[in-house]
Amino acid sequence: MNPYGPVAIYLGVAMAAALLFSLVPGLLARSKPNPEKAEAYECGVEPTSSVSGRFPVRFYLIAMLFVIFDVEAASFYPWAVQMHALRVFGLVEMVVFVIVLAIGYAYVWKKGGFAWK
Amino acid sequence: MIANPYNSLDWNAVIPLLVVSVTALAVLFADLVARGGVKRVVCIAIGLAGLAVAAVLCAKSYGQSYSSFGGGFIMGGFTVVFEELIVLSAIFSVALYSAVGEARHLAGSIALLLWSAAGAMLMAGAGNLMTIFLGLELLSLALYCLCGMSRRTTARESALKYLILSSTASGFMLYGMALFFGATGSVSLAALANPATAASPLFLVGTALFFIGIAFKLSLVPFHVWTPDVYEGAPLPVTAFMSVATKAGALAVLVRFAYATLPSIHVREILLPLYVVAAISMLVGNLAALAQTDMKRLLAYSGIAQIGYILVALAGTTALGLRYAVFYLAAYLFMNLGAFAVVALMSTENEEGSRIAAFHGLGWRRPWLAAAMAFFLLGLAGFPPTAGFIGKVLILASAVGAGYAWLAGFLILGTAISLYVYFKILRLMYERDQQRAAPVVENSSALAWVSVGVCAIVTVALTFYPLVPSNIIPLVK
Amino acid sequence: MPGTLPVAIENYIALSAVIFFVGVAGVMLRRNPLIMLMSIELMWNAANLLFLAFSKMWLNNAGHVFAFLVITVAAAEAAIGLAIVVTVFRSAKHVDVDEVNLLKG
Repeated sequence: MNPYGPVAIYLGVAMAAALLFSLVPGLLARSKPNPEKAEAYECGVEPTSSVSGRFPVRFYLIAMLFVIFDVEAASFYPWAVQMHALRVFGLVEMVVFVIVLAIGYAYVWKKGGFAWK
Repeated sequence: MIANPYNSLDWNAVIPLLVVSVTALAVLFADLVARGGVKRVVCIAIGLAGLAVAAVLCAKSYGQSYSSFGGGFIMGGFTVVFEELIVLSAIFSVALYSAVGEARHLAGSIALLLWSAAGAMLMAGAGNLMTIFLGLELLSLALYCLCGMSRRTTARESALKYLILSSTASGFMLYGMALFFGATGSVSLAALANPATAASPLFLVGTALFFIGIAFKLSLVPFHVWTPDVYEGAPLPVTAFMSVATKAGALAVLVRFAYATLPSIHVREILLPLYVVAAISMLVGNLAALAQTDMKRLLAYSGIAQIGYILVALAGTTALGLRYAVFYLAAYLFMNLGAFAVVALMSTENEEGSRIAAFHGLGWRRPWLAAAMAFFLLGLAGFPPTAGFIGKVLILASAVGAGYAWLAGFLILGTAISLYVYFKILRLMYERDQQRAAPVVENSSALAWVSVGVCAIVTVALTFYPLVPSNIIPLVK
Repeated sequence: MPGTLPVAIENYIALSAVIFFVGVAGVMLRRNPLIMLMSIELMWNAANLLFLAFSKMWLNNAGHVFAFLVITVAAAEAAIGLAIVVTVFRSAKHVDVDEVNLLKG
């Protein structure tokens, strides 16, 4: 059998099922249109609203700080994998890296970067 | 393969770089600790002290050659001179913060300026593609923030513009680097020097993309549109720093690429587009400078032309040409930063004194300041008592000697146009017209005056450069 | 060619070239700075893809290291980019670079 045979069968079955499910209700169900029914289902929340609503800049600030410290933390992985090969030099290098990060952290903290209000 | 980094860490090579970066941390720390009015003084003092130490360390490695990170960072030959120039431009820019600027973000600004200088220094000594990229981005990322550090709306807009255009240029350059890596299988610049790679299409496309990135950073003409806007919008000390340091960093990368990397048989063909662009820059830069009403924009356009002159010196990639290019860059640094220091002394609490109208009748109100400005403008135009004159003569000689007489012709044409630009300002400063005269600004920051003095003295002193023995700048490789 | 790749290297080059030009087109054509920043990320990541493919082809880990470096720098760049976009448009109603017109080249 052609290796793509199962894929073709799967595709056919999926299409047939989709057609069935979308045609059969139209034939069987009674139709009572209603504007509420035409809305996209969003757990009762208005799906769209004005974009110009107020959005605290703090969210951006937290997101930016997260991105930076997150990626800096990712720099630990290559070192962790090669820790034994890199020996003391790698450890010292990483400590220096952490100190630099810590000074940045202290600066942001002292300047109120983490305060919510 | 990359050599083990810890086998090839040479402290001699990286120490000036480390001093500059650690000084930036110290400035931030001082900002957290210091209280009240001394904060400003302490931050500027720490910044200047750290930079002075770095300058001395740089000067001490003059004539030596160190290599670190498996050839990724080379401190030797022309690198030392470029690093010294970058550190000097950072010193002058930090000094300008005493005359201009909003105190609110002073410590952050100085720290970012130092990191930016560290990035440029990294570029100056970059021996492989990774160090070039890292240096470039360190330089640029810090500059994006610095451009936006002002209450003025124009500053923020200039930061956005610079961010988007510069990151795009970095993208081009990075893609070029990826193609280089594909052509040779190594990130080292030395591996590219193999003549066999010159035939590879990956290498040729990579070179084109790489040059786009370089041309953007040097603000050569088709890629120059950002320069006047960003220079105008950015705070004055940042503009002063950018006008020299970014160019020095990018020029160092270009020099190492042209002299040590490109296979020597093809170097003329490969670099030809760059020379054409330089010729256009000399004309367009000077022509556009004619129409400006803001001193920072005028200096931006003048800088576009000046970098064209420097590229003329590199034409033919001769050793002599490199010496003259570095010499002209040094002369440009002092003349240009001197002019910026004068603009800083024209500034008030709320406004930078960069409107050209503010220079009206300056010669009768503040004669010393006007004399200094006149001197620096004459230097930029290339008049005799200054290093600008001797620099241009040397560049002409080297270009003609290397067989690029047409480029020399463009240089003369560009200079002729620039005379008109600078004389317009001179006439304005010495016009006796009481009605149109701008009000007197009393700004007498001592550090800015010292900068003006030092720049003026060095601009004259550099005139004696041709008397210095000729092996003063040891070469590449 | 020293290394072995699951598919020929030309495919990687073609894919990354397509991604790169989508990025370039995005920067040139779109007027929303956030989308422009995303397009720039696309350009950088096209280069990353090339680095990784060539790294496998040449059996040289330097490409991996370079890609990692690019990711780190791109994160810093995105953070700074967002910060600048926020400061510029905090007072404005819409996010559109055509409204950034105080400075004209």
